[in-house]
Amino acid sequence: MRRPDILWRLGSFAVAAALVGLWQLTADLKLVSPVFLPGPDKAWTALIRGFSSGDLMAKLLGTLAHMLYGWLCASFVGIALGAAIGASKTMRDYVAPSLEWLRPLPVSAIIPIAIALFGLTQGMALFVIAFGAMWPMLLATIHGFAVVEPRLYEVARTLHMSRLAVIVKIALPSASPDILAGMRLSLTVALILSVVCEILAGLDGLGHWVLLSARAFRSADLFAGVILLGIVGYVTATAMAFAERRLLRWRGVGH
Amino acid sequence: MTLPSITPLRPAVASARKPQIAFDRVSLDLGGKTILDTVNLDVAPGEFLCIIGASGCGKTTALRLAAGLYQPTSGRVTFDGVAMTAPRRDIAIVFQDYGKALLPWRTAIGNVSLALETAGVPKPQRADRIEELLVKVGLPFHGDKYPAEMSGGMQQRLQIARCLAQEPKVLLMDEPFGALDAMTRQSLQDEVLELVRASGVTVIFVTHDLEEAIYLGDRVIGLLPHPGRVGIQCAIDLARPRDQLTTREQPQFLALRRQLFDFIKASEA
Repeated sequence: MRRPDILWRLGSFAVAAALVGLWQLTADLKLVSPVFLPGPDKAWTALIRGFSSGDLMAKLLGTLAHMLYGWLCASFVGIALGAAIGASKTMRDYVAPSLEWLRPLPVSAIIPIAIALFGLTQGMALFVIAFGAMWPMLLATIHGFAVVEPRLYEVARTLHMSRLAVIVKIALPSASPDILAGMRLSLTVALILSVVCEILAGLDGLGHWVLLSARAFRSADLFAGVILLGIVGYVTATAMAFAERRLLRWRGVGH
Repeated sequence: MTLPSITPLRPAVASARKPQIAFDRVSLDLGGKTILDTVNLDVAPGEFLCIIGASGCGKTTALRLAAGLYQPTSGRVTFDGVAMTAPRRDIAIVFQDYGKALLPWRTAIGNVSLALETAGVPKPQRADRIEELLVKVGLPFHGDKYPAEMSGGMQQRLQIARCLAQEPKVLLMDEPFGALDAMTRQSLQDEVLELVRASGVTVIFVTHDLEEAIYLGDRVIGLLPHPGRVGIQCAIDLARPRDQLTTREQPQFLALRRQLFDFIKASEA
């Protein structure tokens, strides 16, 4: 790591530490009632206690499972559907306007429908998460397919590549920067929807934990859950960014 | 009685054999405009044909017709007597914009491999074949580089390697060296001549550089614009192998250069 990088990193840690300090000070001075705002010390203790009893671990795994299964489903369906639509100009022209109309639809509006269809089940959560998280990938794939360098299609024609080979070897890799960016966005959407579904359907997970803690005025536990959700979001986004850098190495090289 | 004069090998071959690629009264309209008008053109096997012309004369269009990427509005383009209805694997095209014609997410090896994969060459045989091709185009030790890590000349060499991997009978080159600096261009010209000599492949080479056309070709065809049609044909009898200095200094070279220059100038007037 170069020197300025280290300085930046140190600086960002200092800001984070200052925020935690401010939080501690606010709590210690009782500027906000401790019923609503525990100090970071209390939240930390609650976090440790939750993990040592195993409760919090189970909830964390529950949320991770909802998020990742939903996200994987969304990725698979989004990319496959996007490829099917994006691979043909006619399909793009016919289908894209409908998608533009469906996309801004708040996913929360889908939840009652999903509950009516699936009940308060894991299946409902999977459907909602997958549906909500699919859009960035779907639209990114369609867009990525639409802007493939036409010259490459001519290369494919002169080589007599099959339609499938063109999709797998040319269109998908060419669209991969868009698709991966979509996947990174979807990850956040999947986490949000996991929490919402857990709260609404009482499914095992951090969303449920946070809700129950709030109702029981266990604010330290509530904050432990929120902190954990923040960490989940941060870690998954960082992992995705790392994967993106590795997979798109060909873009960063050279001039 | 005098002996018949000994004509250079390649044009002799050219006139003796049936054409490999033939344009038979080919016209092409695109977007309501006539791009090419009744073009007749025979290219013999092993011939190196250069096409020149002012911009907008349809030389690239003619090349795309020869590639099967366009279909003529009237007339026909044949390959070994068979009408071209689609691109053929044994006709390879070297595009001018190498940056767009290579897969940026594949290394040099991967890019050459694309042609072999598509031709169904089994995986174990690919590596040796790729290595051999990269050496042939002067890119040994660069196999693991991505196109973005290569200079323009190297990228164009890579594209040529991929085209050679198709084991083409015909190589179509569309201003392949137009974007390169003079030194790189000259060395690539000589390398292409050597590759062509060694493989006996037929070449149609489109360029706006008159000297390049004369230096490379067995024959140069000049197109007239609006609509594109054949305006001049010159056989190039300069001895081979050609040399960047001595060939370009020969009176015949200079005479041809003058003749073609006047043609282009008149065609633009």
